[in-house]
Amino acid sequence: MTPRETVFLVDDDPAVLKSLSRLLDSAGFQPRPFGSPDAFLEAFDPAAAGCVVLDLSMPGRDGLELQEALARRGSELPVIFLTGRGDVPQSVRAMKRGAVDFLSKPVDDEVLLAAIREALGRDRERREGREERAAILERLETLTERERQVLDGVAEGRLNKQIGGTLGIAEKTVKVHRGRAMEKMKAGSVAELVRMLERAGVRR
Amino acid sequence: MSWITIAWSMVASACLTVAALHLYLGLRRRSRSDLLFAAATVCAAAIGYLEMALMTSPSPERHAVLIRVVQLPFAMLILMLVLFVRSYLGAGRIWLGASAVAVRFLLLAVDLVVSPNVNYLRIDRVLAVPMPWGEAVHLAQGELRPWTRLGQLSSLIFVLFALDAIRTAWRRGDRHRAVVVGGSIAFAIGLGATHSALLMQGTIRSPSLISVAYLAIVAAMSYQLTSDSLRSSQLSRQLDASEAALGESERRMALAAEAADVGVWLYDIARDEIWINEIIRGRRGWTEERVPLARFLAGVHPEDRDGLRAALEDATRTAGRFEREYRLARADGGSRWVSSRGRAEALEGRGVVLRGAALDVTRRKEAELEAARRRDELAHLSRVTLLGELSGSLAHELNQPLTAILSNAQAAQRFLEEGAGRIPDVRAILADIVAEDRHAGEVIRRHRLLLRKGEVRLEPLDMSETVGEVLSLVRSDLLRSGVVATAELPAGLPAALGDRVQIQQVILNLITNACDAVGSAGPADRRIAVRAAADDGAGVRVSVSDRGTGIPAEAADRLFEPFFTTKPDGMGLGLAVCRSIISAHGGRLWASANPDRGATFCFTLPTIETAP
Repeated sequence: MTPRETVFLVDDDPAVLKSLSRLLDSAGFQPRPFGSPDAFLEAFDPAAAGCVVLDLSMPGRDGLELQEALARRGSELPVIFLTGRGDVPQSVRAMKRGAVDFLSKPVDDEVLLAAIREALGRDRERREGREERAAILERLETLTERERQVLDGVAEGRLNKQIGGTLGIAEKTVKVHRGRAMEKMKAGSVAELVRMLERAGVRR
Repeated sequence: MSWITIAWSMVASACLTVAALHLYLGLRRRSRSDLLFAAATVCAAAIGYLEMALMTSPSPERHAVLIRVVQLPFAMLILMLVLFVRSYLGAGRIWLGASAVAVRFLLLAVDLVVSPNVNYLRIDRVLAVPMPWGEAVHLAQGELRPWTRLGQLSSLIFVLFALDAIRTAWRRGDRHRAVVVGGSIAFAIGLGATHSALLMQGTIRSPSLISVAYLAIVAAMSYQLTSDSLRSSQLSRQLDASEAALGESERRMALAAEAADVGVWLYDIARDEIWINEIIRGRRGWTEERVPLARFLAGVHPEDRDGLRAALEDATRTAGRFEREYRLARADGGSRWVSSRGRAEALEGRGVVLRGAALDVTRRKEAELEAARRRDELAHLSRVTLLGELSGSLAHELNQPLTAILSNAQAAQRFLEEGAGRIPDVRAILADIVAEDRHAGEVIRRHRLLLRKGEVRLEPLDMSETVGEVLSLVRSDLLRSGVVATAELPAGLPAALGDRVQIQQVILNLITNACDAVGSAGPADRRIAVRAAADDGAGVRVSVSDRGTGIPAEAADRLFEPFFTTKPDGMGLGLAVCRSIISAHGGRLWASANPDRGATFCFTLPTIETAP
């Protein structure tokens, strides 16, 4: 059984908080309820995985302010807003800041769960992308200066001969560096190599 | 002609004249006293003639006969005088009078059978006693019978009877008549009887004086008659004058009553009838001057009838004042309002009556009812407006429980699909759903209560609870506008007397005003404080303080005027309606500036104990 994914819930109404927790529990998620934005911020870990379901209007700090506070702390947790009234300007503001969805109370389980799945998917993707990039950068670190120069030329789609010309080395030597670099990068083809560099954001 | 004949004839004639006068008066006035006095005076006249005959006769035989005869008028005189005293003074012990008369009539009976008469065993001779003025007076001499003592006893009893009557009449306050008439009677009979006793015993020798002594009574009665007639003519003049004045004042009253459309009535309790004037007769369409109370009440609106009857009975019982407003049901189905007030009065000879005046106040009453209706309408309108502003709050208040219910129910559906293992969760969920549903129902009830339009209904209110309900109504609005409300709502306040809906409207108004006042303030000053507390003098006090901009000086005086507002989109009715609501409850609503920042609005309500 796969570990349950965490959903952070923030709502000032205890009854709503309890019912949403139950719903998430019944749908196989791990709910973590908080009665106020401040309680949530206090317990917040920027490295945590999952997503947040926020009530828009709460005493003290409201949902939008909490979203901003999270961003300031470097959190990239996807946020879903719940609101008692369909407030267009507020929803526009929330969506602009990257909210996954903006849902009206009372919310249907399928709608809420779909939004949560979407948010968790994004979180997962984000997380996986970050890991892949780290691995590629790590592999890039193992290359020698020359191997890196050759790899850059390959990625730019230049021929071995052209690369050798530019670097002032023999075509044969280029071939050896290229083979070693491709092996170090665990790239089966030039196309794969290009995709890797793009993902890691190192393509010049 | 001798002087005795002249003098005693005059005495007898005087008596007869007076007797004739009183006979005439007695017949005219149907007065028993006058007739009795006339009869007594005729007896005195007879005695006078007999005395005259005795004094001028030298014959013993004639004396014997005359003395026998004189017993009859004397007995009749005593009888008539006893009856007269009883009738005229209304006093004197009957057994004393009856004893005097009985003894006298016993002697009269004895007088008829013995010879020569009841006074003398035998008359030896007739003595001619020379008088200083010449002519002699003839007096009988002989052996006296012991019966004479009985005659003297009768006279004594009669005098006692007269004195007793005087005393009773004196105590009763009838002093003048008691002394003049009663006194003259006691004096005359006492003097006459004593003198005649002394005369018979031969102790003194003088003319017989019974009829002369009676003149004292005649004089007293004549004096009484004269002063009576003087007084009556005086009274009659006064009566004429006051009757004229009364007629004039009655005419003026009637004119005024007619001009002012005032109905005048008089409730005769003993007869259970009401006398009514022209105005009321016209109002009711009646022609009779007096109607039975039942008929009068039958025309009164059924809802007011018992109250009116009770008020009349109350005023009658306590001999106090009467005041009542009631409706008259009219034949055309409409009704008129009548305001009637009066008071109990004791009338001589008729017992207690209620007298009063009735005004048709239909127009005033309708205006009052219309004003009350308008006030209610306005209160309702301003409440609806206020609630319109709060409509977002209703949606939000309902959304919370609905959200909880929906999510709980859908969680339960999922748990049930998982199998029996989650049944305890489902049970807990269902309990929560029930609670949330009740919560939603309560939210709707509170709003609906405030929208209710109807009669003002006073009930005991726990002000902490009442204020708390309003705070939960506005909770989401406070939230939206970022206002923090603190509440001091102690338990156990004395119960205030008020209409829950109207009082909540006032509180709601004050709280929304306070929120508006702090709307533009910085987050730290977006605070309002709501308090309920016991107030020593006035009952219970509720205050709403804000930390807003305060009340502008030029607005302070006009704050509670209708259509005065400092808000760009305000109607200016809120505070005016609030004040009229609180005043109608017997409380007070006022505003004051806080020492540091913002304003405080306070109102008081009487509690059950302090309510008038």
